[in-house]
Amino acid sequence: MANLNIDSVKERTFDAIVIGSGMSGGWAAKEFADKGLKTLILERGRDVKHIKDYPTTNMYPWEFEHRGELPMAVQEANPIVNRCYAFGESAAHFFVKDAEHPYIQDKPFDWIRGYQVGGKSLLWARQTQRWSDFDFEGPARDGFAVDWPIRYKDIAPWYSYVEKFAGISGNRDGIPELPDGEFLPAFPLNTVEEYFSKHVKNNYKNRYVISARCAHLSTPNQIHLDQGRVQCQRRTICERGCPFGGYFSANATTIPWALKSGHATLRPFSVVESIIYDDKLGKATGVRVIDTNTKEAIDYYAKVIFVNAAALNTNLILLNSKSHRFPNGLGNDSGVLGKYVAFHNYSAHIGAEYDGAKEWTTDGRNPAGGGYIPRFRNVYKQETDFLRGYASGFGAYRSPQRSWDGVGSSLKDNLANKELGPWHVGSHMMGETIPKESNFVSLDDKQKDAWGVPLLKMNIDYDDNDEKMKKDYVEQLTEMFTSAGFTNIKASTDKRAPGLDIHEMGGARMGNDPKTSILNKWNQVHSVKNVFVTDGASMTSTSCQNPSLTYMAFTARAADYAMSEMKKGNLS
Amino acid sequence: MDRRTVIKNLALIIGGAALLPACSQDKAKSKVALKNIDITADQEQLIGDVAETIIPKTTTPGAKDLLLHLFVLKMVDDCYKKDDQQVFVTGMGHFADQSQKLYSKTFDQLDTKTREAFLLDIEKEGKAEEEAARKNSDKKDAAPATPPAGKYSPELKKFYSIVKRQTINGYTNSKYFMTKEVVYELVPGRYNAHFPYKQKQAV
Repeated sequence: MANLNIDSVKERTFDAIVIGSGMSGGWAAKEFADKGLKTLILERGRDVKHIKDYPTTNMYPWEFEHRGELPMAVQEANPIVNRCYAFGESAAHFFVKDAEHPYIQDKPFDWIRGYQVGGKSLLWARQTQRWSDFDFEGPARDGFAVDWPIRYKDIAPWYSYVEKFAGISGNRDGIPELPDGEFLPAFPLNTVEEYFSKHVKNNYKNRYVISARCAHLSTPNQIHLDQGRVQCQRRTICERGCPFGGYFSANATTIPWALKSGHATLRPFSVVESIIYDDKLGKATGVRVIDTNTKEAIDYYAKVIFVNAAALNTNLILLNSKSHRFPNGLGNDSGVLGKYVAFHNYSAHIGAEYDGAKEWTTDGRNPAGGGYIPRFRNVYKQETDFLRGYASGFGAYRSPQRSWDGVGSSLKDNLANKELGPWHVGSHMMGETIPKESNFVSLDDKQKDAWGVPLLKMNIDYDDNDEKMKKDYVEQLTEMFTSAGFTNIKASTDKRAPGLDIHEMGGARMGNDPKTSILNKWNQVHSVKNVFVTDGASMTSTSCQNPSLTYMAFTARAADYAMSEMKKGNLS
Repeated sequence: MDRRTVIKNLALIIGGAALLPACSQDKAKSKVALKNIDITADQEQLIGDVAETIIPKTTTPGAKDLLLHLFVLKMVDDCYKKDDQQVFVTGMGHFADQSQKLYSKTFDQLDTKTREAFLLDIEKEGKAEEEAARKNSDKKDAAPATPPAGKYSPELKKFYSIVKRQTINGYTNSKYFMTKEVVYELVPGRYNAHFPYKQKQAV
């Protein structure tokens, strides 16, 4: 770096650096750029421009070489990512392949990643349920992890703020444990979903089946049109990237908005090796980037740094940011960095048939996926021998019965049959898991990746609480299905590794006490005031609601706080 | 030449091209260039005849019109494990032999009725075995039963089930099927959650 002159340093100096361009990083970039801050967005992968870089988005099924299936060579070379439901011929280009970015599984962990501008926001399942005080008060009430340093009232206005911009469809259901938001019209429940909803409401206390709330523009508002997005076309092939901008992705929404301001610079192919901490100044001065094409190390400087690299990579960056002051990772005075990682338990499903409502079906497709059953276990009081609970997806559908029996013209007739079979119903479990010290990630002290960054080691596992909860899910849903008159009920559980839920959280948790947490109530590193973490790494507990909307709200809130602190001169 | 002959010849040309060694300059070669399995022109013809028996040309296109036999080969070559590919090739040999043994004719010499009967008989034996296996697995104490030696080898049945599966896969995912039989909408633009439906409507 000796040959770099002052001008070069100036060129590499920004007001704000955002590490990561996905679900939460896009929000940080948008907030800063909107307010005129000179912002650098760092993305380790390639650029993915909205529409232009969605190569499969308008392809018909017959245009895929293997009709959607991936070649066996690809499947065999990628046992981990191949377990992800969306890793197919139409979207494989948005997933990290196993061999490209190795990590160490001290315990099995399916780490599903999307290294490109937009990250996994291109690929997510778009479910957006708010968290409530039943979640934020959970650790304190039930005696696990540490108390959240915030309550629902702190985050509620920021939920509203991000919902209005992102576009969230849903009904105002008036359920305390699943607070209502700023909704576009909901995607309605179909006949059998509605039937089950009524049945549950009439027969169970505090159990509800509602339209799943999702980040789709059912009916766009002006703010969405201003983003260049239009109404969701109900295609439900979202993982290919949506040319309509029908669902929220950083690519369609926050990133182009930030760039349009003229204040943001997007730098793809930039792996952040570490955050630079200045012992004398007592703050972070910038980040060290490895250009993935040239392998050159380049330092960038800024007044404030937002770490949004996705939960476990954020942990990796912090752990790898070692200095005299922080020999065990940036802000890690407490020693909890990398620990108390948790996730969501998706390992149980149930399916059945319903022999009614034969005079009804659906037409078109539902991007919300159907219904959502908010957590009903241990909400108002502890009532089982396990802590916390689970939300459940619920959906009903009908399709033609197309027998593959026989050969010849009768088979051709069977395959083209349009006569519908009975309704099928299905549900899957989304369980909260308890963050524990023994569930952690750490750096390998020898092995490094192609950019000289240590490999991440995974020590994350289920526990007895998860097993009991899974059993309860199967029992309760079976009971609810039975009482609703569903037949041929089949529950199944699987032995999936943690990670496949793609909801890994924690490691740099928020808390009131710097001795037991990394971040304060503003997602600000307790001991390094100009560094903020607002992605999944910051979560103190996991709730059982999908987390992305909460990351967005935390990010907008923290960015607002950081800017007000900058104005006051508190971050310099 | 009528349309069918033209398409048939085209299929043969395209299919044949895949079998030529790499030095071939044929433009159509890449269409079914096979990397993992070795298939002769006769074998490709056989798969075409089996696929055409499964999805025959009627008033609407059949397997050969839609080049489904080439799709079957493409899928076996790209999307199956090595073991399955070997079983497929072995089973194909057994299939040809069995035709000789049972009917003293090659498969292509059989009339449509006999071809259909042959395939249905294979299917029937495969189903009976699956059923027996399922019943057996329900009985906890039963010793694992050895399936009775049938008319058809396990490899033959596997070969046939792969050809059938991929012929149907190729058919139901073909442009013809998805635009003329069961229309696929890329951009539905609507979701109607309550759509009236009358059972036993005309197909």
